[in-house]
Amino acid sequence: MTTLLQLKDVRASYDGALVLDGVSLHVDAGETVGLVGRNGAGKTTTLLSIFGVPQVTGEILVEGKALGKRGYEPAARGVSIVPQEKRIFPNLTVTENILLGGASGRRGRWTVETLFELFPNLARGKDRPGDRLSGGEQQMLAIARGLMADPKVLLLDEPTEGLAPVIIDELIDALKVIQDSGTALVLVEQHVRMVQMLASRFVALGKGRVVAEGATADLQSREVQELIAL
Amino acid sequence: MDLAQLLNGLAYGALLMILSSGLAMIYGLRGVMNFAHGALYMLGAYLAYEVTQRTSFWAALVLAPLLLAAVGAALELGVFRRLQHRSHIEVGLVMFGAALIIERTIVLIWGDDTLPVKAPSALDGTANVLGTDYPAYRLLIIGVAAVMAVALVLWLKRSRTGLHIRAASHDTETAKILGIDVDRVSLVVVALGAALAGLAGVLAAPYFSVQPGMGQSILIMVLIVVVAGGVGSIGGAMVAALALGLIQTAGNVWIPSVAVLVPYLVAIAVLLWRPSGLAGKRVA
Ligand SMILES: Nc1ncnc2c1ncn2[C@@H]1O[C@H](COP(=O)(O)OP(=O)(O)OP(=O)(O)O)[C@@H](O)[C@H]1O
Ligand SMILES: [Mg+2]
Repeated sequence: MTTLLQLKDVRASYDGALVLDGVSLHVDAGETVGLVGRNGAGKTTTLLSIFGVPQVTGEILVEGKALGKRGYEPAARGVSIVPQEKRIFPNLTVTENILLGGASGRRGRWTVETLFELFPNLARGKDRPGDRLSGGEQQMLAIARGLMADPKVLLLDEPTEGLAPVIIDELIDALKVIQDSGTALVLVEQHVRMVQMLASRFVALGKGRVVAEGATADLQSREVQELIAL
Repeated sequence: MDLAQLLNGLAYGALLMILSSGLAMIYGLRGVMNFAHGALYMLGAYLAYEVTQRTSFWAALVLAPLLLAAVGAALELGVFRRLQHRSHIEVGLVMFGAALIIERTIVLIWGDDTLPVKAPSALDGTANVLGTDYPAYRLLIIGVAAVMAVALVLWLKRSRTGLHIRAASHDTETAKILGIDVDRVSLVVVALGAALAGLAGVLAAPYFSVQPGMGQSILIMVLIVVVAGGVGSIGGAMVAALALGLIQTAGNVWIPSVAVLVPYLVAIAVLLWRPSGLAGKRVA
């Protein structure tokens, strides 16, 4: 198995305030890793550090090669993100938002048409501006946009946050299709159920450090539960 | 107001439109008002004088924007890119300094007398517009601005680079995360914005006088246009430019004694009515 993405002793800070204090983790080709931890543990910061949003020290490798400091590089190297706040562009249409996902020039199996097949709701509103979408539609759009660059690993930051149960079921189905296509996932989640359903491994963060990791079956153990207190 | 005055307003508005669309694009990408925009316009006008003397006005219309694009690229590489992590006030001040340097250099080269630039001979006379004789040259200004506006809007709406510009001017951080090389996009935008300022300067040269104060006075108008149009909105700036050109001309005709205040009053009225400008884009 090849290691797709590796973080080695990553420290990240915002305006001098240290948020990640030496995080190391890796993602292998095709696997799904759950990233868990309570609010403020540093899950989002871990994902954003790959894109150089906070100030970062330590090593970040994609397929064994170091990532440069430029924020636009990961997308071109096969690492795409679905950010926690979705960050849909309100001034662009649904289709334009999806196309933006291919901005790095990296393209592959997914096209606007096949993404509309995966998310039929988006197809119906393809010319609507990005700010006229429901929370569920925004989430689907952010995922479609991330897939447009045909990532080797897709980073999903709390994709179920604020969604109704029926929409979550739709989302799970879509994520399974993406997994089956061979794309690795990093799934940041508050819901243990989601992680257990989709991931084989988990990494738990607490106060900017990795406090536990293992097989998702262990997420139920009292020891881990206490550490992460989801 | 008669037809000729209306057309004057349109010609002035057209110049403001060319200038403000560039300023709005640069603001979108770099988050800073380019206070050197007036100086770039002035440089365009002086280059028009120089090139017209040596060859022809038509050569100036092509050469000056190209030279200004190079100046814009230098400003992007030397100032905007280097200082992108500094506060907007600092960068704004540096651009203000750049404006002073450019304007002073112009005076050192060409002196501080008002310089004449003749309209090309083919457009020297008048043309008949709906029964009114009107200077043909000013129709050129209106025509060039119209073509430029349509081309710019189509480019922004249809091209890949245009999509990236629209995305990056709304949210540069997310644009970067999605794989857009914002520095490269910004180079295109600042060079284009400067070229447009140069184009406006060339077009203005035979119409207004070419003199050292021209940059500062137009800068104020363009800033008003961009704020009234909705900071960062290119479409809003275009509409506001045409409107302000017309309103200013009407002010000159109807209330000449206080006409200089008209742009400010318009800006205040617009901002009271819609605090984030005509296009109403949220100011992040
Ligand atoms: N832009 C920022 N500027 C300053 N501090 C920040 C910023 N973003 C996050 N932080 C701080 O960093 C810490 C970790 O935040 P982060 O968003 O990574 O946590 P999280 O695990 O994703 O939490 P949640 O589950 O609430 O999304 C928090 O203490 C937060 O206040
Ligand atoms: Mg988070």
